[in-house]
Amino acid sequence: MNEPKDQKLASRNMPGMNRPDRFAEVQHAEHLGATLKRIFAYFARERAMVIGMLAVVIFGTLCSVYAPSLQSRAIDTIAGVRTGNLLGIVLLMLGVYLLHSLCQLLQGVVSARLSQRVVKHMREELFAKLVDLPVRYLDTHSHGDVVSRMTNDIENLSTTVSQSLPSLFSGVLTIIGTVAIMLWYCWQLALLSYATVLLTLLATKFLSGRVRKFSRKRQQLLGQLNGTVEEMVSGYRTVVAYNRQAQTTEDFCQTADSLTKVGIKTDIFSGVMGPVMNCIGNIGFVIIAAFGGYFSIHGLISVGVISAFIVYAKQFSRPINELAQVYGQLQTAIAGAERVFTVLDEADEDKAGEALQDNEQKTVTFQNVNFSYEPGHPVIRDFSLTVPSGKKVALVGATGSGKTTIVNLLMRFYDIESGTIRINGQDISQVSRDDLRKNMAIVLQDTVLFSDTLRQNMKYGNEAATDEEITAAMKMSRCDDLPRRLPQGWESVLVNSGENISQGQRQLLAIARAFVADPKILILDEATSNVDTRTEKAIQDAMQRVMQDRTSIVIAHRLSTIRDSDIIVVMDHGQIVESGNHDQLLAQRGKYYELYQTQYAGFAT
Amino acid sequence: MMWKYIRRYLPYAILAAAFMVGEVSMDLIQPGIMSQIVDDGVLGLNTGGTGNLDLIWRLGLQMICLVLFGGLCGSLNNVFVHMSGQNIGNDMRKDCFRKIMTFSFPQIDRFGTGSLVTRMTNDITQVQNFISQFVRGMIRTTVLTFGSIYCMFRLSRVFGYVVLCVFPLIILVMAVCMKKSSSLFTKLQTQLDTVNSIMQEDVAGIRVIKACVRELYEKLRFGKANNELIQTQLRVLIIFAFMNPIVNALMYLAVAAILLVGNITVRAGGATPGNVMAAITYTTQLLNGLLMLVMLFQNITRGIASWKRVRVLLDSTPELADGEQAGETALRGSVEFQDVSFAYPDGQTVLEHIDLKLEPGETLALMGETGCGKTSLVSLIPRFYDVTGGAVLVDGVNVKEYRQTALRDKIAVALQKSELFSASVAENIAWGDPEAGEAAIRAAATVAQADSFIAQMPEGYQTLVAERGMSLSGGQKQRVSIARAVVKNAEILIFDDSTSALDLKTEADLYAALREANPHSTKIIVAQRIASARQADRIAVLENGHIIACGPHEELLASCPTYQAIYQSQMGEEDDHHE
Repeated sequence: MNEPKDQKLASRNMPGMNRPDRFAEVQHAEHLGATLKRIFAYFARERAMVIGMLAVVIFGTLCSVYAPSLQSRAIDTIAGVRTGNLLGIVLLMLGVYLLHSLCQLLQGVVSARLSQRVVKHMREELFAKLVDLPVRYLDTHSHGDVVSRMTNDIENLSTTVSQSLPSLFSGVLTIIGTVAIMLWYCWQLALLSYATVLLTLLATKFLSGRVRKFSRKRQQLLGQLNGTVEEMVSGYRTVVAYNRQAQTTEDFCQTADSLTKVGIKTDIFSGVMGPVMNCIGNIGFVIIAAFGGYFSIHGLISVGVISAFIVYAKQFSRPINELAQVYGQLQTAIAGAERVFTVLDEADEDKAGEALQDNEQKTVTFQNVNFSYEPGHPVIRDFSLTVPSGKKVALVGATGSGKTTIVNLLMRFYDIESGTIRINGQDISQVSRDDLRKNMAIVLQDTVLFSDTLRQNMKYGNEAATDEEITAAMKMSRCDDLPRRLPQGWESVLVNSGENISQGQRQLLAIARAFVADPKILILDEATSNVDTRTEKAIQDAMQRVMQDRTSIVIAHRLSTIRDSDIIVVMDHGQIVESGNHDQLLAQRGKYYELYQTQYAGFAT
Repeated sequence: MMWKYIRRYLPYAILAAAFMVGEVSMDLIQPGIMSQIVDDGVLGLNTGGTGNLDLIWRLGLQMICLVLFGGLCGSLNNVFVHMSGQNIGNDMRKDCFRKIMTFSFPQIDRFGTGSLVTRMTNDITQVQNFISQFVRGMIRTTVLTFGSIYCMFRLSRVFGYVVLCVFPLIILVMAVCMKKSSSLFTKLQTQLDTVNSIMQEDVAGIRVIKACVRELYEKLRFGKANNELIQTQLRVLIIFAFMNPIVNALMYLAVAAILLVGNITVRAGGATPGNVMAAITYTTQLLNGLLMLVMLFQNITRGIASWKRVRVLLDSTPELADGEQAGETALRGSVEFQDVSFAYPDGQTVLEHIDLKLEPGETLALMGETGCGKTSLVSLIPRFYDVTGGAVLVDGVNVKEYRQTALRDKIAVALQKSELFSASVAENIAWGDPEAGEAAIRAAATVAQADSFIAQMPEGYQTLVAERGMSLSGGQKQRVSIARAVVKNAEILIFDDSTSALDLKTEADLYAALREANPHSTKIIVAQRIASARQADRIAVLENGHIIACGPHEELLASCPTYQAIYQSQMGEEDDHHE
């Protein structure tokens, strides 16, 4: 379960600027073949660009293989071991080099466009998928995880494919090209130069094992450290109230110190790779200089060839260096792609169905409804209830008694297992979800506002609403002074999901939003729990008017919220224990009476 | 400021720099030796055209030694670089944390929790990388660049001039690219934040989206934000796509020029073919150095930006001055507000002219609408905030005269949003009193009505509270945090709406147990429900920052219209008939 936290940290990186480090943990895809095929499909859509890019890469590589041989000829001409028109050779060489640069440029531009197009498409597709998925998916998956797929995995995939792939491709071509031409010039010297490749591979293998071991430890400590900071800063009030600053600091310093120790070890092992590679490169250089000189004296090669070899040796050690790295990156990217595809493969919420019959009356009937989130753990059992049109029904009961589940079922966020839910006799499982939901409005305990303007937020449930309608709704929910209090009035953007207004205000806004939606059926799920009782009372009075001819279902913790309901339903373990109006239930002296007594114990003196 | 941290690890940094110079010097010497191999060994320029095999082997061996020495220097440089960088980062991180722990609440509010966390984590890591890269990269590039130019001048003046001509051009290209991209980076960050926040809020608010059938709207909203981000990102990538090839092209131009100029010089006897080859190698080295500079530059700009943010944190001074009073007072448990006014730093006035006195052992309930200043009022007692007018006296002494720890030792607070920490339940409770034994913890939990559910958990009191209490329900968290306050056995107990998630039965039991367990403590209870408040000795009703009434339940019910209104909103009309 540590993973989401780490990924959250990673998501702070800038997209496109991720520079996966050489020894980063490599992840593996489970179904490599199938995943690859789908990745191909994405890039196949941009066929022209992909083909263009590959052509440019091939041409560029040819240039880079050809140019050093011209350089070698020029040196030979200068040394006098070969005659020819030096100016001509140099100009040709320059031309080839410049073409190579041009190819690099084109490749860069094309791969940037390609990667960004693929990111854009994939991200839009995944976002659309998330919105279209049944609520169950987001209820059962960590949100941090989902967001990380949207950012990291997609970003990773496209950067790797569009940037590492060309370098892989040109790398392989360059290796083949240079190896061939080196062998052609002087196979003895070529073979000697290849010795450095072996050294590179050995060094990488030796170091990477060690680095991985330490970096895993480091990652874990880092998570711990960041966790401590987050916890102590957000819980600062408590830290101060209990005078725990010194103790907390000491704990923090301990973690910080052990992180530093592990960090130094990791960095030493991973950082030493640079100097070691440099050293190996230089050894190659020496081999070429010394043995090249030796061969040259024996007349096997000319001086110019030594110069060419130096360039070639550089040219072919670079891609070999990169290959190991790119290979790991590719695997991680493919594993990420697989995760993205898993989400994309989830079935959408089924939007099909008939329209809800247009009728001013909205009678809601539950008939022998059974439901469970997990098989074998029934949450709603044989639930039957009729909510007459225009009446207010309250659901009461302990946490976990299934009140909120009833809302989930009525909104068709989840589908029932058996039984039926009807509106005016029409089975809602036959009604399209969109049409069903358009007839209802819900206000939830966790208020959701969007980082959009105040007006857009208010119009969320009813796009056609006029400013007058919105003001009227806000007046009813007692928050009509808000546009005046916010700096930009109606156009103020509610930052960070509405954190620039208080929790209570947010709830009032959410209620106003539901009023604006002007629904046939209104559902309030603990909607006023963060509002003090007087304000709640005022809202209720207003609601009485609004809800006069509407069916409403109210879930509340405070009995004062629901006592004037037409029907109060007491639930326990997914079943209805009693129902009736307040006075009837009190008279019954059952569960409701008990609840009432505890809430108002000692009041009725 | 930075120097303060570097100074402590200066020896490491100096050693690192010295080894780096060693490594680069070896890189610089090699082409010279190679030139000798070509000229004297192969071409035999000084021996009349006959090659010298012995010389080649000797020079080759010499080169290998230099290379290995260079590698050793490089590795040691790497060791010392990280020892200095990581240690400096660690010191900074610890200092930052210590600093935060001295902050007042207005300071914390000003920074914002999120910003403090990023500064502590991300920013310091950036600074740390910046130091490491600076020590390693900057020295390497500088020595390599100037060393290469110097060596070329030594080979032949003309080679030096060629490089000097190209060098400024390359720098210019890089500077233009950096400048163009840097403004885009800021834009990129804001756009990225927008995309992320849309994602997060939509994932969290999926029910509302679906209930309002706004799926399409959200897709369009996301599409727009995503598109803007992608556009900017593309522009950045394209700028960098131009940079490398152009710099490369300039270098190839220099190589061509060296070949042509070299030919003339060789003919004139001013240089040898080996020199020409060496000059070309130096040019490539120079280029590599410069390209590395670009990468460094990016990290450095990021590092400096981070450093600025960290520095603000390190530079800030604790706002609350400690007093002298060590806590010994004759009175135990008295609280007095004398004409107290309070406004938040943003100017929002919350409390005006509050006068209120609590005797030791008294229980006071505070009631009022959301946002009327109840929490602010109790926050003044442990000096979470300082009054803007008047004075708060605890045990007859102004809170500003206490040492902060002494003052807070007298007070136990349970908050509405209970903050628990990733430790076992027992450890969380023991925050109230580190000396508390198992029995004391259990007793406190029993008072808080928490013992029964804690005992039912798989590992009882040793159960770990995961992720700030995500594993517990709201009511459970509140009860653990109340237990923590109870175990502290303080003179003054403050319950800031800390029983809001409990049902009334549990709440009533809790208060009864509390009265029995801590009869001498002064208790201040912020409450929304009349049922929680009515047992108090006195109830203070706050409205618009003023105390409009204060007295026992019956008295308020008879005389205070606001209280009556609250009562009615909770009771409903028919109960009035009972009265």
